[in-house]
Order: sequence, then C-alpha cells, then structure tokens
Amino acid sequence: MNKNKHLLLWSSLGVLALLVAAAVEENFLKTWRRIQASASTAQGPIDVHLRQIVVPDLKVTDRCVSCHVGMAPGMADLQGGPVLAAHKPMVHDPNEFGCTVCHGGQGLATEQADAHGEVRFWPEPMIPTRYASAGCGACHSHLRVTDLGQMREGRNLVERYDCLACHRIDGRGGTLRPGGAGGMEGPDLSHVGITGLDPDWYQEHLAQYEKAETGPWKHSFGPVDDKDRQAMEGFLKSRVGASELIEAKALFHSLGCRGCHKIQGVGGDDGPDLTRFGERDPHLLDFSHVPGEHTFVHWIAEHFRWPAKVVAGSKMPDLGLTEPQIDKLTLYMLSLRQSHFPEAYWPKDRILVERFREREFATDGATLFGTFCAACHGPAGEGRRFPESSPFPSVANPDFLAVASDDFLAETIRRGRPGRRMPAWNEAEGGLRDGEIAEVVAHLRRMAGVDKPEVVSPRPRWVQAGVDPGRRLYAAHCAGCHGAQGDGVEAPALNNPILLSTATDTYLLETIRRGRRGTAMPGFAAPSSPAYPALSPTDIESIVAFIRTWEDSSK
Amino acid sequence: MSETSSLVRSRLDPEPVPRRDFLGLASMGAAGAAMLFALVGMLRLPKAAVVASPSKKFTVQLPDSLAPGKAHIPAGRSVALFRDEKGVYAISLVCTHLGCIVKEAAEGFECPCHGSKFTADGTVTKGPAPTALPWLKVTPRDGEFVVDEDTTVPQGAKVTG
Amino acid sequence: MSSTTSKSALGEFLGNLVRAPRAIYRAAFRTGAPTTDRSRSDFVFGNVFLHLHPVRTHRWSLRWTTTLGLGIAATAAFLLTLVTGVLLMFYYKPFPEAAYESIKDIHFVVPTGRFIRNIHRWAANVMVVAVLAHMVRVFFTASYRAPREFNWLIGMGLLVVTLGLSFTGYLLPWDQLAYWATTIGANIAQSPRELTDSLGITEQFDPGGLQKQLLLGSDTVGAESLIRFYLLHVMILPLALAALMAVHFWRIRKDGGLNRPEDADARLGPAPDATYPVFTEAPKKTYHLAAIVQGRTPAVRRGPENTVPSMPHLFYAELGVLMVTVLICVGLSLLANAPLKELANPSVPENPAKAPWYFLGLQELVSFSAFMGGVGIPAIVVVGLGLIPFLDREGAGSGDWFGGPGGARLVVWSAIVGLAAVLAVEAFAIQFGWIRQWFPHAPQLLITLVNPGTVLTAMYAAYSIWLVKWHNSTRAGALGLFTCFLCGFVVLTIIGTHFRGPNWEFYWSPAQWPTH
Repeated sequence: MNKNKHLLLWSSLGVLALLVAAAVEENFLKTWRRIQASASTAQGPIDVHLRQIVVPDLKVTDRCVSCHVGMAPGMADLQGGPVLAAHKPMVHDPNEFGCTVCHGGQGLATEQADAHGEVRFWPEPMIPTRYASAGCGACHSHLRVTDLGQMREGRNLVERYDCLACHRIDGRGGTLRPGGAGGMEGPDLSHVGITGLDPDWYQEHLAQYEKAETGPWKHSFGPVDDKDRQAMEGFLKSRVGASELIEAKALFHSLGCRGCHKIQGVGGDDGPDLTRFGERDPHLLDFSHVPGEHTFVHWIAEHFRWPAKVVAGSKMPDLGLTEPQIDKLTLYMLSLRQSHFPEAYWPKDRILVERFREREFATDGATLFGTFCAACHGPAGEGRRFPESSPFPSVANPDFLAVASDDFLAETIRRGRPGRRMPAWNEAEGGLRDGEIAEVVAHLRRMAGVDKPEVVSPRPRWVQAGVDPGRRLYAAHCAGCHGAQGDGVEAPALNNPILLSTATDTYLLETIRRGRRGTAMPGFAAPSSPAYPALSPTDIESIVAFIRTWEDSSK
Repeated sequence: MSETSSLVRSRLDPEPVPRRDFLGLASMGAAGAAMLFALVGMLRLPKAAVVASPSKKFTVQLPDSLAPGKAHIPAGRSVALFRDEKGVYAISLVCTHLGCIVKEAAEGFECPCHGSKFTADGTVTKGPAPTALPWLKVTPRDGEFVVDEDTTVPQGAKVTG
Repeated sequence: MSSTTSKSALGEFLGNLVRAPRAIYRAAFRTGAPTTDRSRSDFVFGNVFLHLHPVRTHRWSLRWTTTLGLGIAATAAFLLTLVTGVLLMFYYKPFPEAAYESIKDIHFVVPTGRFIRNIHRWAANVMVVAVLAHMVRVFFTASYRAPREFNWLIGMGLLVVTLGLSFTGYLLPWDQLAYWATTIGANIAQSPRELTDSLGITEQFDPGGLQKQLLLGSDTVGAESLIRFYLLHVMILPLALAALMAVHFWRIRKDGGLNRPEDADARLGPAPDATYPVFTEAPKKTYHLAAIVQGRTPAVRRGPENTVPSMPHLFYAELGVLMVTVLICVGLSLLANAPLKELANPSVPENPAKAPWYFLGLQELVSFSAFMGGVGIPAIVVVGLGLIPFLDREGAGSGDWFGGPGGARLVVWSAIVGLAAVLAVEAFAIQFGWIRQWFPHAPQLLITLVNPGTVLTAMYAAYSIWLVKWHNSTRAGALGLFTCFLCGFVVLTIIGTHFRGPNWEFYWSPAQWPTH
C-alpha cells in the first residue's frame, strides 16, 4: 500500500513547490515592485504598493502610476530611473484627468505590455509618444483650424518680425532678463490661444516702440500693417497646446481629404467615414502588405504611401505626399477619436460646434472650396483627372459660369449627381449649410471672374423642336464623349436626373452653342474641326429636346 | 512485518499499527503543509491591494452674501465652509463617533444618531463623540476654494484668498 | 450559600476552566487518537466528513486500475472550483462592463487573484474531463449494472450539471469569447424552432423560443442574462451538484461499494501479513441490522474479509488522487492564464465564435442542423445512455475492464468502425457539401432529418444492433454503441476545436486562417 503514500507525498511536495513559485512570482518579481523599490525621495525610500488615479466621472481607473510613480499625486521629485520622472507641465493635471484619457492604453493593467496595450484583445493601445498630441482629439474633436497657408504665413511673419527675440513659442525663442530675475522678457505664447490674445497688445507694443530711443524695442519692434497683424493673430490663436495637431488638421483640410471622407457628418461619400478612425482596433487591420512592425502607425503611414497596396481595391488616389506630410496626416488620423464624457468636461471648441452649431473650419468660400471641392475639381477649379476615373468637370470655367445660374450651381452642389462621384452636399448628406454653399458659388464666380451669368432663360423649358433630328445629331456629334445613352464615357453624364431637372433649356442650349474653352467640349455655333461642324439653332434645339427624353425614362 | 504475524492477530490489539510510519507521516505532513500554504495564500485575497477611492478634493465658490459664522454646505458634500474676518475655513460634518452626518443646530452642530453635540468650531460638548469635528485643508484658487477632505488642519487655521 | 461549598465550587470552576480545552477536544473527537484499527474505525464512523466511507475497504477497490481515481479526481476538481469560486465572488460584480472590469481587477491587482482565477478555470476543465472519463470507466467495467443502475442515472445528472456549471461560468467575464459562446448556446436552446418552423407550428407551439427566453431572460444576451447565469453558476447548479453528489456517494455504499468481479478474492491472492482479519473475536458492533428490515443487502454472500481498514489505506489513496488533481490544476494555472478577450461587443461577432471545447463536437453537429445537432442527437445520446443499465441485464464480465463477449477485441473493432464512420461522414460533408448545396430548395425538414449528424447516429445504431445479433449479447451491442459514440464525440470535438476556422470553414491548421 506504500504506493499511495508515495503518490500523496510527491504530489503534495509538487503542489507546495508550485505554490511557492507562484508566491515568489507575485510578491517579488513584479516589475512595478522593482521600480518602486528603486525609487526614493529626499526623505528615503517610498512605500511599495499599487497606486492608481480614479476619476469616476471619466470612468478612469489608471494604474499607470504604479510604475510611473513620479506622476502619482504628491510623488514628484523622485530619484531613480527615467520611468520615475514627473509629468511635464500640462494644461490638464494627470491627477484630475487620469492617464488613459489622453494617452490610450489599458489603465487597469499593472504590467508593461498590458498597460501599454501591446497585447491581443486590448483594442485601444497607447498612442506612441511621438504622436502624443493625437490623444487631444478624444475630447478636442472639434479643434478649430484656419487655412494652412494663412497659418504658415502667420508663423513666417512672427519669425520675420522677430517676436521670438522676447517670446517663447513651442520651446523656441525667448530671452531671459539679465540675471534671470523676472523670468523671460516676454510671456510664453505657446498656449496663448487658450487664454486669448490681449486685445491691446499692438497698441502697447507700439507705445513702447515710440518711447524707446535705442535698444531692443527700437530694433526689434516697429509698426506692423493690418494684414500682417491679422495673419500673426490667426497663427497665435491656434497656439492651444496641441499645435502639431492643429497643423496636421489644417494639412488634412488643405489637401481636400474631406471631399471624399466624412468627419463628424461633414464631407464627401467616396471614401470611408473617418469620424472615429483613430479608435480602430489594430488587430483587425490587414498587415499583409505593411512592412515592419505591425503597429497602427505603420499601417496608416504605409497606406498614405500606397493606398491601393495596403487596402486592395481602394479608390484612394496616390497623393504623392512627402514623408513629413505623411507623418502629420498619421498624427491626425490617430487623433480621430470621440470620448463620451459628461458635458462638464467638454472643451469650449466642442461645445461651440455641437451645441451652438459653429464650424471647426473657416467658412469663407475659398477655404470651403479648398477643403471640400479642390481634391476633385482642382485647387483653381480647373478640373482634374485621376487614373481610372473620368475627368472631374472644370467648375471654374468662365464659359460654364457664363451660362449657369447661381441657383443651378447651388442646386447642383446641394443635390450632387447620383450615380456619379459628385455627392450631395446638402446639410443632411454632405453636411454643408445653404449659406456655405452660396459662399462656394460666390468663390467659383470670383475664380472665373464671371460675377453673373450672361444669359438668363426666360422660362426653364421652352424648346419645342422635334426629337428625331436630335437623336441623329446626338449620335453623330455627342455620343462619342457623352455616351450613346448619355451616361458619360469621358464627358459628364447627360442622362443624370438631377442635371436634367435643374438645368434649364437655355443652359443646355448655350452650353452646346458656346462649348467650354479649355476643355474637350467644343462650341457648335461655329465649325471647330471637321468632326464638329457648325449646327443651326434648330439643330441644337432638337438635340436639347432629345436629351430631355432621358428625363422621362429616368423618372 | 514478520514480527507482527507472530503476534496474536486481534482487532483489540492495542498497537497493531506500526508507530513509525515515516513515509506515511511525511506524506501527510507534506499534504498538510501544501494545504496550509494554499490557505495562507487564499486568505490574502479578500484584502484589496487598491481601493477605488477617488480624490476627495473639490472646488467651491462661496456666495458673497455669506455672513460670518454662517455655514455654507456645498451640495452633495459633508463639509461646512465658513468665512469670517480672519479668513475661510472648512469643518467636516462627519461625526467622529460612528460616521453619521451632523446637522446644523442653533449653536454649532448635533448628531442625529447618538446625540453628540458640537460647538460651531467643532469642539465636542456632549455625547459619545471622542474628538472634535476635524478642520479640513482649504486652498484658495482664482477666487474659489479647493477643499481637500483627505487632509485635516489644526483647529483655527483659516485662509484668506 | 456556606463559604465552604462556595469555595469548592469556585475551585471546581477554576479546574473546569483549566480542563476546558481538553474537554472541548474530547467533545469534538470522541474516539481519541486513531492509533488502533478499532479506534480508526470509530474515528471514521464519528466524523461527518469521513462517515460516507466504509470503515473497511476491499483490496480490489484500492487497485489503481480499478477506478483510476477518476471519481475522486472529479470531486477534487469540484472542491477546487468551489473554494476558488467563493474567493472570486469577493470581487466579481455581475453586471455588464463592471463584470469585465472586475475580472481585469482580479487579473491585475487582487492579491493572488489571477492565480485563483486560473485555478478556477483549469479545475473546471479538469472536472469536465474527469467526469467524462469516470463515466467511460464505469461503462467499460460494466459497473452500471444492478444494483447500481440508479447511480448511473445520478451520474448522468452529475454530468449534465457539470456541463451546465461550466457553460454558465463561461458568460461571467463578459468578454467577446463569453458573449458569443453564450449567444450560440442560447440559439441552440432555441433550435427546436427549426423543427417547429418547418412543420409550421411555431405560432402555436414554440418550445425553442421558450427555452431561450428562460435562459436569457430577454431576447439577446444582456444584463438580464448575466444575472441569470450568475445565479445558476453560484447558487442553483452548485447546490444541485452537491445534492446529487451526496446521493451518488451514498448509493455507492448502499450498492455494496465499488463493483468488483465475482472472483476478485481469488485473483487478489492471500492478504498480506499486516492485514488483520475482521472476525477474530466478537464484533463490537452488529452490522446491517437494517438488513432484517430490508431483506436484502448487496453484501450478502460476501464476507467482509479481504478488506483493509479505510483509515489509513483508503484515505492515502483518496488524498493522493486529490493532491495529484491539485497538482495538475495548479501546474496548468502557472503555465497558461485563463483567457480574457476584449469587452463584449454585440455588434462585432467573433469569427469563428466557438463554444467551450467540450461543446465543440455539438457545434460541429449544429453546423449541419441546429435542432438535430443541438437538441435531437444529444437527447438521443442522453436517453440511450440512461437506458443502457436497463437494457443490458447480463451479469458476465462485471467489474472487469471491457468485460463481456469479445471484450477488448470488440472495443478495438468498434473503435475502428466508429472512427472510420465519423471520419468518412465528415470527410464527405467537408468535400462534397450536403443537400442544401446540391438542391438549394430542399425543404428544411429533410435537412433536419437527414444530415451528417443523423446519418452518423443511424450508422452507429445499425452497427450496434448488428453486434447484438452477431454476439447474441446485449452487452456486446452496448459496448459497440458506447465505443462508437465515444469515438464520434472525440473526433467531432477535435474537428470543432482545431480544424474549423472563420465561417466554420475547414482548415488544416489555425495558421491558415485568413487574417481578417
């Protein structure tokens, strides 16, 4: 019967050994224990225990401070490794907001890989430190941006006027007063966009300039003209602590990405809605065509380099971006998040947009056109073509604007061209409001230098001509580009129901008569080539009548 | 065991079992030790390593009309704030006896649970409460006051701001 | 009230106080130190935890090959889950999201929490394995026969409750794994609708919908389901299990201890010298007075000879098996953490969403027909298993492994037949598809009745009926049928676990799964 005793003896000893191993692992080998044991203050070593920041309103329980002890409440000034460093001075105190609200990662975890979220089954990995300001996007989802060009100009002016001699901006510039007493000569302007500019700053500077005989005031400050001052103020107002993010967002807007991508309900429909793109679970992405480490950042950057390689079948054109641009856009992509915090925690910009219907972008025609239209129609509205797609109409063409009424233009923008790439931009679909669409129309007219249509139709429909000659003429002269059924091979589709319902007969007739200079559309008032002879007004009317037949069939 | 077989084999034999069964004792000892060790480990579980205690700091704005000696009790907090000519101070309203919330009375505070009475500065005058109501740390910030319920200050410490 | 009496009373009081610890000990352990066989027997009698054991155990029962210790292993695993489960309840919060976060807390900050949870998880798996293996052992040693038929039924109840405990525990972490496995489980419960739908009577008679409603408390898995599963997991099922276990153990004693062959005594040979015979002198107690009333006991014609005192011999064996079980569970817990995936997300299904491993054989059958796979065939199997002791009334070979006509050879052949059949049916279905692929408009009733699962069941049934005729023995048919179903269960479980990937497609290994 001794074998049962042996069974008991050896299995018990085995259990004991395993339990001891587990106890040692838990009580001595945890990383946070070692880190805390190595830390000390001026008074001596610190207590070794788990630490956490709890913010019930934000549903935050962040144990990051178990390792990053220097960021725990009241634990600054620790000696030890770099992990013990205190947080750099911030607008948002980590003790009030926690860590994961901005940085992502798994606040509940107490081990590095889990906490940084670099594990399977944690869909919100930490935002890499390099792109840390992307975390701002979670709450500041409606950061206001101005036009990238204006912002650059403002920055250049700030440098040219030598503001950095006294002021510090984003860690650059500024001079200490002699002896260091009293700090900097001028206030740090890195976050001046939050507090707002002193409205009298220019008058005060000018007064100093006029008082001074010699010295820095005389040399580095002088009168600034209004235009430059506005540009500088525009730049300074964007200094809110996440300037990289603002610049990245401005770049995104200036590249016209929102012509295809919706964000917060405003934008085109050609590409996927990007509203919460930054929250995507990296483990659900296809990395088979992404070299290097399988991180979200790599995926995004590689996608910007070769869209169709990373996502098979992607319609996104190769934008020919530079690496710094890709880096900025990657930052912006990571920032596309949306937190669900109580409104008391919302930043001003978000309240203005979500509660007071303000816009996060400038609403002048130029900015709107650049943000939403230019990606397809070209920065100057000249029309464009991308491989494997029919050309986009040249909307700033003077011949077009000479025959198109403002109503026609606005209605076209509002309702789009169903079935074609042009989406409907009305508030329910593309997100633009009527006033903004009017601004875009005005901008088109400014670009073309045509401030009102030259011909005005007496009535929308007046053509009475017979259809049959029109059918023959269309087949001979138009079908080559516009397609036998008007479905638009190379040229715009003519059988589009929205076009047919909004275009007047005069518009169609005049377009055929005059053509569009600078595009493939010839005018038929006079012979332009052997293939395109002159057509009589009756001929043209019959073509219009023929085009109108598609209206009935499409109804 | 040949010795045993030579004995009278009886169930009533006082010592029929070999007394020195080292293997048996060792195995029982090992099993006992393993179970004891496991028990110690399991007993450690109920004591939480971290308790979910959010920071008990909060910010209040005192009404300008607040008269000296009159308590201002922010909604949802068990703290009374006072302002007099010497400054602002906060007194915890948690009874030091068994943790009930004391009520304002004609003079000072009284506890509804077991009848402790306190003066307006927190000193016990009657009842089972062992110590005075603690004064809490108040820090002025931009015209408002930050009260830290976790930090007590000596009675009589007032701040201006 | 004279001073002398009060003095002596005071002295007595003080004396009592001094003697109190010893008196308390004696009151607790009346029999004294268990140093002799008799005092050991008394000790076993007098101890509520030990008295389920006989005072003397037959030597046959202590052979390792008799039981392989599987029943004790299952009990030990249950005790482990019980203890660790109670500990986990200190921190677990049965509400969606809070549940997930509390498991994260248990994983990351609760002292010993992760280890305890791992043990709970592994012990639960070990328990399922042990219960299944125990049933296999009982079947192959024909230990279900009279008078043990009813205990076999109790054992089946224990199997069902064990699976239920494991399944209800699956939802509690509220992660993706939990959510989708439970969703599938609930829809299997609803699958009688497949039959009622194809008969067109769901409007009037909807047992499937009722089952799902009762299980979830709602139409989808949500807070209502979680609290139900929690209640089942920590209260109803453990109590049911404990009650069934008590009956199960008690019946073992009442049915005459562990089953052993008629000629066990002869095969064991003479007892070793150290074993004391029972009837050397007048017994101190009269056994089996109850027999006078009952008229028959299983111990009739079997003297209590060739037995050894349960204490210590049986207890060493039992403790040893318990410790081995603990060793296995603890070792596995150190090697692998209990899984915890992302927070449950009702809009993103897991692909593939797999049930717990022991249900993957069923899930494979369910992939052919939800009703037959999830309800029909399991019901046939459960009823069939329950009927075995009442259909096989033979006596030969009881207590021996694979006892019966042909014995081990028959089992090997049946295993070959069983494996061949399940592999052939699976290979055919994977390679060529089934009725729906060939005739897209085939009625659902046809597919419910004729699918790989039912075909396989019919093949096994036909084979075992042939065995009954061929060997002219019900035991032969039972052996063949059980072996076949065992092979089917194992193969289907392996296929479901290892060879099924996203969309329940066949893959040779998980490495070939498409990444999306």
